[in-house]
Amino acid sequence: MSSLFQVDGLVKRFGALVATDHVSLAVSAGEVHALIGPNGAGKSTLVNLISGLVPADAGHIVLDGVNLTPLPMHARVRAGLSRCFQITSIFREATVMDNLLLAAQAHAGSSLRWLRDRRHEQPLADTAHALAERVGLLHELGRTAGTLPHGAQRKLDVALALAARPKLLLLDEPMAGMGPEDSERMTELIHRLKADMAILLIEHDMKAVFALADRISVLVYGRVLVSGSVDEIRGNPQVQAVYLGTEDTMAEAA
Amino acid sequence: MKLERWLPWCAFAALAVFPLLAPALGLDFYVNFVRRALIFALAAASLNFILGFGGMAALGHMGFVGVGAYTLVALADAGHASAWLLWPAGAVAGGLVAAAIGSVALRTRGVYFIMITLAFAQMLYFAAVSLRAYGGDDGYNLMARPTFGLGLDSTHEPTFYWVVLALFGGVMALLNRATVSRFGHALMGIRDNEVRMQAMGYPVFRLRLADFALAGAAAGLAGALLVSHNSFVSPSVMHWTQSATLVVMVVIGGVGRRWGGPVGAAVWIGLEEIARQHTEYWHLPLGVLLVAIVFLAPRGIAGVLERRRRAAPAALAADGRPVEATP
Amino acid sequence: MTPILFIEQMLNGLGYGLMLFLLAAGLTLVFGIMDVMNLAHGSLFMGGAYVAASVHTRTDSFVGAVLAALVVVVLVALVLEALLVRRLYGRDHLAQVLATFGIILVADDLVKMAWGPAPIMASAPAALSGAVEILPGLPYPAYRLVILVAGLAVAGGLYLLVNHTRVGMLVRAGASNRAMAEFMGVRVGRIFSLVFLVGAALAALAGALMGPLTAVQVGMGEEILIPSLVVLVIGGIGSIRGAFVAAMLVGLVDTIGRAFVPLALRPLLPPTLVSDLSALIAGLATYALMAAVLAFKPTGLFPARG
Repeated sequence: MSSLFQVDGLVKRFGALVATDHVSLAVSAGEVHALIGPNGAGKSTLVNLISGLVPADAGHIVLDGVNLTPLPMHARVRAGLSRCFQITSIFREATVMDNLLLAAQAHAGSSLRWLRDRRHEQPLADTAHALAERVGLLHELGRTAGTLPHGAQRKLDVALALAARPKLLLLDEPMAGMGPEDSERMTELIHRLKADMAILLIEHDMKAVFALADRISVLVYGRVLVSGSVDEIRGNPQVQAVYLGTEDTMAEAA
Repeated sequence: MKLERWLPWCAFAALAVFPLLAPALGLDFYVNFVRRALIFALAAASLNFILGFGGMAALGHMGFVGVGAYTLVALADAGHASAWLLWPAGAVAGGLVAAAIGSVALRTRGVYFIMITLAFAQMLYFAAVSLRAYGGDDGYNLMARPTFGLGLDSTHEPTFYWVVLALFGGVMALLNRATVSRFGHALMGIRDNEVRMQAMGYPVFRLRLADFALAGAAAGLAGALLVSHNSFVSPSVMHWTQSATLVVMVVIGGVGRRWGGPVGAAVWIGLEEIARQHTEYWHLPLGVLLVAIVFLAPRGIAGVLERRRRAAPAALAADGRPVEATP
Repeated sequence: MTPILFIEQMLNGLGYGLMLFLLAAGLTLVFGIMDVMNLAHGSLFMGGAYVAASVHTRTDSFVGAVLAALVVVVLVALVLEALLVRRLYGRDHLAQVLATFGIILVADDLVKMAWGPAPIMASAPAALSGAVEILPGLPYPAYRLVILVAGLAVAGGLYLLVNHTRVGMLVRAGASNRAMAEFMGVRVGRIFSLVFLVGAALAALAGALMGPLTAVQVGMGEEILIPSLVVLVIGGIGSIRGAFVAAMLVGLVDTIGRAFVPLALRPLLPPTLVSDLSALIAGLATYALMAAVLAFKPTGLFPARG
């Protein structure tokens, strides 16, 4: 069975440190594949390699038959890969609407058009509204993004990634810094997204991981320790050993 | 907000009637002075398009002005005389050279970008100095002002003034339109969060290059106007200190503000003239002013006005909620 | 092209490179540690040239003139750093460019007020006005020889200072990662002031030494600044070693452009085209070098910052 998204033997070195050590994993269409692991395991580096923010030293990345490895970041987005950021990356000084318009604009033709006022473009506004509705920010469109509460900013971060109508969505710790209520809502949102795209979910929040994931890969010291279904991972003694000592993550899952 | 709407129109109208009123006020000399200020306002506006809206600190912009000027010189020297050819040629040349330089410089960031743009401007300067056919270091005297045809006499100073004013207005309208276009919003997005823009699929390098080229074309036009205005050009117009002065103008007017370039140019050139009238050591007060601006009013005039606005009681909308001030 | 001429030109290039190194060394450290872009560095160079020239004219002591230049410029730098440059730390580069450009304007007019607008006379010491036969058949101006020796001595001293003293180690730490150095307890602010003053002294020395070879005039700082920045960029910000290697490269390329390209072109092209083209190539050579280096190494040859 060929999967929608495949990573093969990905390597990244920073000097003597091997941050990503021959990582391979696969995500099928319609699947939520969670990536977990202790701090410093190299999860963020992996996300950066896949999205193209950081060039890989070796390995391949293939999405829906297209080799993404030689492509720069923006070309990977066009190929169907979109990401959101662990540290919220939005346009703080602009309104939520402007944030979404900017995201919509990226996938609605050329941005070199310089003679037409963008306010006249109703389709863009419609797309922005749709995005806002999807993540639950419809009532906040006029607000300056930087003034939103943390949870809403994370939602906006996800919305910006959704505008690309991706085949594979990279969610980099979407629950980061969220309280239980916000986390629940984000979990519901991700669950709704599942119908439209494959998702690679990096998370520490074990409750969300066990609720959402179809498959889980465990990353330790830049290497994939084990990949499997939720039950397989849960019952795996190696995984339990890895997490022994990080009692906070086990406690969260309880 | 309303002030910002009709103030530019008032200023434009005032500028338009100025040559008619000047003789009566004994300000004949100043018609040419204002004309020169308009040309620099255009150059400053084109720089603001890179600096303010694009977020790129380019320190060699006068190089493109020089390219426009020398393109005109080369064509005029070869016998061409129509402004319809010479001026667009200056713009095109400015745009092409900017695209060429940008394709290298835009691969760098931050301070390296500043320095590489500085260095490229000096390259253009040295290139002009080495062009002995066009006067080299001594400069080039334009024999005749480019002609307009259409029954207009370009040597008639007020006529030339009005043409410059019209061009200035036209280009400003285009640039202002660009800032609210898709292109403008994309540029500002890149300025504010480049990584996110890339992550959203924007071809950042291409967009920045287009910005650079467009601004270079406007600067090239300013250069063609400048040499037509002065009937003279020398490589010194491209010296990096001139580019630094242009940056100063934009900062004074307000980086990233619609009228930041023109306002800043007007203020700086005005202050320069006043200082010159009083002392031969006019660099001194201007230098002190610069330092003062950096420490006291880093956002320029626009920043000072905004601070005043914030300190004043907020305006209220119909439902009693405060109206958020829009930049 | 005789071997004699070749060696002579190469020595000139070396001398020019060493003077650029003196300027770039100060700039790269200020930049590397404090992240402050100081365009007024060239004005310190100008100050050194003017003070040395006039003291030499008055007292006939070249050594005294150089010392006077160092003292005066370092004092000015002290005041400048305390009042202004220190406050530019943490500001964006544009603000730094503007503020230091303002200083250039003020400095130019102050010099103009003190010495007048015309270039002033700076002569080499009488004792060094002759030539030394460094190789059989190769007389080389004694003064230029002294510059070479002085330049190399300073470079060597700087190398020792930066790489083999405790202070130097602190400087390198600050240049490579300021925040971390501060966390480790290094008083980076003090180090910066020291670095700024040393940089000023080097610039003054370069000015004092170069005075007799070039025109001492208002605006000379602005002229030498760009080549110094080119050296900085090629070498990599914060690296003395980078500044040295880059300065040697720039000196070399500049000489090749100025002296050898015309000779190479002369048999190929008509004479007027040769001189125009050589002037162009000479002017552009170092910038082409910079573009080439940046194409492969966008942060310079030996950047101190990781």
